Amino acid sequence: MTPTYMNIMLAFTISLLGMLIYRSHLMASLLCLEGMMMSLFIMTALMASNAHSPLINIMPIIMLVFAACEAAVGLALLISISNTYGLDHINNLSLLQC
Amino acid sequence: MTYVLFTLSVLLVMGFVGFSSKPSPIYGGLALIVSGVVGCMIILNYGGAYLGLVMFLIYLGGMMVVFGYTAAMAIEEYPETWGSGFEVFGCFLVGLMMEVGLVLWVLEFDEVVVVVSLNDMGNWVVFEGEGLELVRGDSIGAGALYDYGRWLVVVAGWTLFVGVYIVIEITRGN
Repeated sequence: MTPTYMNIMLAFTISLLGMLIYRSHLMASLLCLEGMMMSLFIMTALMASNAHSPLINIMPIIMLVFAACEAAVGLALLISISNTYGLDHINNLSLLQC
Repeated sequence: MTYVLFTLSVLLVMGFVGFSSKPSPIYGGLALIVSGVVGCMIILNYGGAYLGLVMFLIYLGGMMVVFGYTAAMAIEEYPETWGSGFEVFGCFLVGLMMEVGLVLWVLEFDEVVVVVSLNDMGNWVVFEGEGLELVRGDSIGAGALYDYGRWLVVVAGWTLFVGVYIVIEITRGN
């Protein structure tokens, strides 16, 4: 394997860290989630081209479909929070009411 | 030119550090778009023309536009960029220093052994096969989704439909 794979796996880990560490905005964590999905897309596309097996190309496409679904649901939650509080700051959220 | 793929993957990591250091979401979206462009060029270098186009059209052209509009809805008056304040700038700098250290490690030893041995520096030359080829492998493979993966298409389509319904129910409120 080339060190290119190492960099892509490192990009996934950095996005994962960015998603789990909160600052003020919820939207920034959703962006890091999209970054994770993008690095997984790149990794599976590279593995499909490397192995010279065309059928593996199904996997990046399907992953993109489900990443779009989860991005849509995450954004809908963010919009409902933003409708209640005006901004999507994390310290607005409590366990009692969203 | 031998190391162009490695350089592109280093730029990808730097773009990822750019939005993982959590500036305001509008600048995070900008860094994600730049990372997407670099990632598309990596995929193109491995010979996946169709998947690079899919990434540009659907990922950057579809999802990032939606993220941009949503960020414009939920943004504050003075968004925080990489240069404002020490937190974001410090995180960005630490990430860059880590990547520079890793690049120096790879260039010094020509090999990184973490669980697996990552050697073989330099470019992959994609072996095209004998004679003329009329179709690209990746577009044919993605087209096989509708042949071998009929049930997967049905499941994914139903998932998308249910996802749209869930989004409508969430944004309805109450």
